[in-house]
Amino acid sequence: MSKFLFIYRNPPAPDQKPSPEEMQAMFAQWGAWKEKFKAHVVDMGDGLKHGGKVLEDGKVTDGPHSEAKEIIGGYSVIEAASYDEAVAVARECPIVFMPQAKIEIREMMGF
Amino acid sequence: MNEALPDAHFFRHQYARLVAVLVRRFGVERLELIEDAAQGALERALGVWTRRGVPEAPEAWLVTVGKNLVRDELRRGARVVLSPEAHADAPAEPDAPAEPDAGHLASEAPDADEEESQLRLLFACASELVPERAQLVLCLKLVAGFGIRQIATRLFTTEANVQKLLERGRGKLREAWRGLPLADALDVDPARERARVGLVEQVLYLIFNEGYSSERPDAPLRPDLCDDALRLTQRLIARAPAPRGSTLALLALMHFLRARLDARVGERAQLVLLSEQERTRWDRAHIELGAACLAQASARPTEEFSRYHGEALVQAEHCLAPSFAATRWREIVELYELLERGYPSPLYVLNRAIALAEWKGPAAGLALLDERAPPAWLAGHYLFVATRGELERRRGRFDEARRCLTAAIESAPTLAERAVFERRLAWARAAISAAEGPAP
Repeated sequence: MSKFLFIYRNPPAPDQKPSPEEMQAMFAQWGAWKEKFKAHVVDMGDGLKHGGKVLEDGKVTDGPHSEAKEIIGGYSVIEAASYDEAVAVARECPIVFMPQAKIEIREMMGF
Repeated sequence: MNEALPDAHFFRHQYARLVAVLVRRFGVERLELIEDAAQGALERALGVWTRRGVPEAPEAWLVTVGKNLVRDELRRGARVVLSPEAHADAPAEPDAPAEPDAGHLASEAPDADEEESQLRLLFACASELVPERAQLVLCLKLVAGFGIRQIATRLFTTEANVQKLLERGRGKLREAWRGLPLADALDVDPARERARVGLVEQVLYLIFNEGYSSERPDAPLRPDLCDDALRLTQRLIARAPAPRGSTLALLALMHFLRARLDARVGERAQLVLLSEQERTRWDRAHIELGAACLAQASARPTEEFSRYHGEALVQAEHCLAPSFAATRWREIVELYELLERGYPSPLYVLNRAIALAEWKGPAAGLALLDERAPPAWLAGHYLFVATRGELERRRGRFDEARRCLTAAIESAPTLAERAVFERRLAWARAAISAAEGPAP
């Protein structure tokens, strides 16, 4: 078994905020996903706030900027036997049903 | 902690509840900020609850987060857009932890009288300073908890237009209620109160209708919305010293329609037509309540005959008829005629034509549709086209029936309605092939 990091990428500001009913539907999707893949979901992870800091060559700048095409909105940690299996888990993750959102799947070194 | 939410409509109800509670606490002039805070509290709940489970008192959790979001924003003073995590950036107040804990929840117990808060908000939105269409949009968003897209579909308009109406409505609402307690919205002079109750009735009627024939393609019926509207109408009556006949008639109408709601859905979630419904599945308790309300509504001879009186009387005919065949169609035709005189509407003409077809045959119904053609912008509406198609089918003009029903299927907004028209189209097609004889 290897661990995989799911990196959730989405546009910085959605065109429209979800309605209460859409949010409830998303809640149900997350619950179903967690339940179906409970053997795989090691850590639901967290969401990330907008903005941030970048340290480069000793200089600190603000970023990523809201003009960026996409930002990292959150992450989860998944356990799977192979990339195929990890992709199968990602395919049903509620993130993929959100417009313009995507999931980057990266296998961890296992240090 | 729980994994599941208390009910299937929890978020929508909580949005409306949060707005009402926060408006009462912070004032209607901060409406936009309050809407953002209600939205932000729900977004935060989505993030936290999916990871850590639903807290024991989710309503109180939401109120605490919502209040903190408003307070933080007020402290910041600037009008920046709130995001769900924004409140955690601001310095925490001793009495306002960013994340509510169990000890804090006791003081944030759900408002003892949320329905009263919601009703006040409804009346505030019904201010004569707010343009009528904006009033409606405001009420649907704030009191029914509808999303922008849902409102746009329901009112046959664009999302951009809904946004525009909301902005204008909020501005007017601020002007109307600046510095005034919202309770004043309920205590205005009788002439204004009359207009305002009329509007509140209209909004409650619209919310009920959204439940009875939802525009959502995947959910033709929404009993939860019907029950929301019913409850608020009951509340409106209970708080009035002398309830108006029109409100009582509206409540009667809602009870009669609610009685038949469950029988409208078949085993495969398809719509079951009135002629096919099992009358034993109708809810007798609602029918009796409807009859009692209607009796009270009609016992006020000094009042006008409202459209709700007329519509409730029509629904009473349906509910009290022993069978579809034994329905008193003549009475229904006459009631629609009466309604048309007081409240001209192409929909009343359409309904009269349908009832007339049952009473005197499809040709009579079609003749009425020809004689009282709807305005051009409505002539192609799927309800008119579908009715014409069905009446042509019954009359035996199958080619014309096929043309109309095909057009109706193309423009029907919900899958369930489309399925009804497809069934009728199949009958028309079968009749055509039968007439043509067996294929060679």
